Amino acid sequence: MKKKIKRVLIANRGEIALRIIRTVKELGLDAVAVYEKPDSEAYFLRFADQAILLGDGPRKDYLSIEKMIWAARKSGADAIHPGYGFLAENPEFSAACDEAGIAFIGPPPGVIRDLGNKVTARNIMKRAGIPFIPGTGNLSAGEDGVREGAAFGNRFGYPLMLKASSGGGGRGIRKVVNEADLQTQLPQARSEAISAFHDDGIYIEKFIESPRHVEVQILADSHGSICHLGTRDCSIQRRHQKLLEIAPAELPPDVLESMHKTAITAAREAGYVNAGTVEFLVDPRTNEFWFMEVNTRLQVEHTVTEMLSGIDIVRQQILVAQGDKLEIPSERINLIGKAVQVRINAEDPKNSFMPEGGKRVEVYQSPGGPGIRLDGIVYQNFKIPTDYDSLLVKLTVRGYEWPQTIQRLKRALNDFLIVGPKTTIPFYLAICDEKDFQAGRFTTDYIETHPEIFNYPEPEREVAKLAKLIAEIHSKRSNPYAM
Amino acid sequence: MTARPRKADERITPGDLKRAGVKSILERVRKAKGYFVTNTERDLSQSDFKNRIMPHTQILGAEPRNAAGFFSIEISGGASVHVDLLRKQISPLEKLQILSAYMPDTLFQTLCRGINLFGYRPYPDNVIRLTVGAFAKYVHVWRVFDFLNYIPNMVPVFEEVKKADCLLEPSICFSTGPEHTDEFYVGKVGEILEVTGPDILLCIKNHAGLGTAKRIGDLVRAILDRYPSLIIHYHGHNTDGNDIGRIVEAVRNGAKIVDAGDHSFVGFFGPPPILTVVETLEDYGYRAVGLDKQSVIDTSNVLRPERENYRDFESQFLGFDPSVQIHKLPGGATGSSFEQAVKGNFLHLMPDILQKELPQVQVELGNWWSVTPGSQILWTTAVNNVIKDGRYRNANDDLKNLMLERYGEFPFYRPAEEIYRAVFGSDWKKIIEREGGYQKIEDVDLEIEKRVLEHRLGRPASGDELVLYLQHPNDAVSFFKFEEKYGKTWVLPPSVWFRKGGFSLGEKFEFQDAFGKLHKLEIGPQRRTKDGDYITLLVVDHHPEPILTVIEDEGGAKPRAVTLSPKEIEALARSGDIRAPIKGLVNQIPGAVGDAVNTGEILVVLEAMKMLTNITSEVSGKISEIFVSPGSDIEVGDRLMTINMEA
Repeated sequence: MKKKIKRVLIANRGEIALRIIRTVKELGLDAVAVYEKPDSEAYFLRFADQAILLGDGPRKDYLSIEKMIWAARKSGADAIHPGYGFLAENPEFSAACDEAGIAFIGPPPGVIRDLGNKVTARNIMKRAGIPFIPGTGNLSAGEDGVREGAAFGNRFGYPLMLKASSGGGGRGIRKVVNEADLQTQLPQARSEAISAFHDDGIYIEKFIESPRHVEVQILADSHGSICHLGTRDCSIQRRHQKLLEIAPAELPPDVLESMHKTAITAAREAGYVNAGTVEFLVDPRTNEFWFMEVNTRLQVEHTVTEMLSGIDIVRQQILVAQGDKLEIPSERINLIGKAVQVRINAEDPKNSFMPEGGKRVEVYQSPGGPGIRLDGIVYQNFKIPTDYDSLLVKLTVRGYEWPQTIQRLKRALNDFLIVGPKTTIPFYLAICDEKDFQAGRFTTDYIETHPEIFNYPEPEREVAKLAKLIAEIHSKRSNPYAM
Repeated sequence: MTARPRKADERITPGDLKRAGVKSILERVRKAKGYFVTNTERDLSQSDFKNRIMPHTQILGAEPRNAAGFFSIEISGGASVHVDLLRKQISPLEKLQILSAYMPDTLFQTLCRGINLFGYRPYPDNVIRLTVGAFAKYVHVWRVFDFLNYIPNMVPVFEEVKKADCLLEPSICFSTGPEHTDEFYVGKVGEILEVTGPDILLCIKNHAGLGTAKRIGDLVRAILDRYPSLIIHYHGHNTDGNDIGRIVEAVRNGAKIVDAGDHSFVGFFGPPPILTVVETLEDYGYRAVGLDKQSVIDTSNVLRPERENYRDFESQFLGFDPSVQIHKLPGGATGSSFEQAVKGNFLHLMPDILQKELPQVQVELGNWWSVTPGSQILWTTAVNNVIKDGRYRNANDDLKNLMLERYGEFPFYRPAEEIYRAVFGSDWKKIIEREGGYQKIEDVDLEIEKRVLEHRLGRPASGDELVLYLQHPNDAVSFFKFEEKYGKTWVLPPSVWFRKGGFSLGEKFEFQDAFGKLHKLEIGPQRRTKDGDYITLLVVDHHPEPILTVIEDEGGAKPRAVTLSPKEIEALARSGDIRAPIKGLVNQIPGAVGDAVNTGEILVVLEAMKMLTNITSEVSGKISEIFVSPGSDIEVGDRLMTINMEA
């Protein structure tokens, strides 16, 4: 029996820090925020019971294990929640917490390490009989590696993918169309992998044309219970970065059931404890699915699952971390309706999603009403950071059926009023009006195959135009357009 | 509003025109027992309010006006098309579309200057076709005139109006003098009927309100004696205060339609009040067909409080002007002539100009009709003759074109040879031979015009936009750009649109935008930036929004101070214009606006490279403006404050 957690340090920033603080406070615990100097005006800090300055940053202090442990000691925190990104999937961080006697709210270091390495993860899954895309182990160095790759290509056909063993989150992936292409791309992939992940391990997987990306949320406690909270369809991506997530994935019930079971089997085989996500690729033509990877963290899109299930995943994470059993038995988990999350970023989708860093949000008005959840850190006069990401607010909506969910999403997006930076809102509105999206037909190449969604209008509000004139009449002391 | 009984069986609606067609409508007018009234809102606005009556006011009065049962409301044409674009920032076509939705039972009427359409110079046939077609979507009654009563100048418009199945109302412009006999005008009516056929309304266009009641009665009688089934629409102005007399005689002699305006808005140079006309004629036994008097009263009750918003546009020279019978200036030209005299500093010459020179010029140039564009030619010539050296020696192109008879034939006689000599010089005969004669305007290439417009706008242009562009190219483009930036501002009340001196802090307005959304705006505090621009905090729909207004200098460019040299900055400081001599941060400002400062006193403390630098005053005076605050970043040459040395 572990010790009850009293004070949680959130080793993260932005919306996810605020998200975690909210649950920490609901549990009646103290919340400790940490920040780098450029974040000293950040919204999430106002919600914490105390806030500790880590250093000048940017980003390097949020990535510093020593500073986090130091901050936990200084604040008297007995637990650390890593959020997502930064140190969340770093096994050394989990290990350092263990060493310091601080509860790490996430899986044990060994699990993070095993599942973080793709080849090790594949071996575990093979052992458990989990289906995965035909692929190789780490390729040998030099020409031998090319020969192994060519042999794979001959057997399973092109195209295939080169993947960095230590890559993730869509990074370190290259598509290869033939043997000559393999010859040129493999050395490039290796040098990239070294500079990006300090590991030149590369393996091969068969390339599935226009697959879907579906993941299963799982929760596991240290008493042997593992449950799933259903699926999320994360197919709509831009260059392997998720834009919009839907729960549950639209798949036949037997496929869903089989996927849930597979995820639980995978988690059990890996000795998984705490919250995690098992990702699958799905062939939209056959509904065959293959294991991709396990994310050993809370995910950005966990909100859709929370909307459907009513279960607070962060709360379960904290309870599990202090050795409690999962609060809700599997048979009481009900997933009702259809939910979708969009990330409202201060970016210009028409200009390759260029962040609007440095601009100020002159007006911010958010939607409300039935079926709406907001996880944001934006407010009137908020300055888009140049040192961090440009996420303003995550909008999650739930409806009963997909058409209602889209109607609600559209309504909520239209009810936002954000003046100052460009945002992804009109882009999402264009997606709402797109036929394939409405029909639930989307695969990972959705954005590439639907370029027309970028042709959305960006009309200025009529009242803003009129206000401009009224301000001008006021400033010039008469109306220059009436004289 | 409570529903009021409509004399639905008597009044003629756009629906009736569409269903029954022109012939049948004309027959109904002929057979109706009594006379009809046209509400000349456009001419009232043009004559007494410089055409400024805003759509907001028209919408306010639309419901009772629609219920009043007028034959028509004249709500377009004349100079209003240009003023809509130039000063009201509304598309004259969109205005008609909006108003017709508010007044679905009332025929809309326009005033078209023949081949000059709604402008000042002739247009080619293909532009006329396009323009009439676009306006005919909303306009049912087309009053068409030519300032020389030269019929060929009206024919292209006649044809298009007929094609559009609208009511055609050719005009004979009326004036006085020995040539202006009944025989002459009856002859002109004959010329018109020859080209139009019998299915028209005929307007007697008395744009200056000339002649006596008897003169007008005789004219109506003379025309009807010759053409008994012709429907005569009498249009006059009340400049001399006696248009009601002329209207009464016109109706007593058989005119079927007369023009008048809403009493709460009538002035001195436009139409007389409707109700007075109706009551007077009632006593003579003539009934206004379809007219609901209570609705006429209701309209004025609704509109009366709005009039004060237009005070700046009423003439400073109020009062009836019976001397119009001498100078013959039409409608609003009487009022605006005095204003031009004030601006041009020749007010003291006005009695001479109006009562001697102008009548003489009229007679010398041929005694034709003083109406656009002829009235402008006569007025400018008379003024030039008086204030510049030598009569007729400063002729503008319009006068020259007129004398070359490019606009049409002189109706009565040509000007004397010495006037030709004064205008064209000693070679005048050769010039007349070479360049004289009626000028037919060649068609323009509409595709090319459209491409030019689209190039100027940087986007595709609609058909209506092309029509407006062809009327007034530069002003139309300016308007389209205005609308892109500021939206549909016609929703704003005149109290906002014409506001002088800014709004007061906390002033609130509520209005519906053009798409029906209700908005609330509140004026918040305003501050000036160091560049001289303004930031106004407006509470827009409950959310404070800072709005930047860039103040441009007269050349339209933004004054930027960063290129100032140290010497220039010193020189400015001696004049009380305090600029930053270094780049840095404002650390402290000891004084406040209104404080007295003496030479050598610290005005601003600047911080640069962690060092503090004092800016001391070179002059004594009072701080009148401060453009920066502690913490502001400043560049060399930025305005810091101004000191008023007179204080």
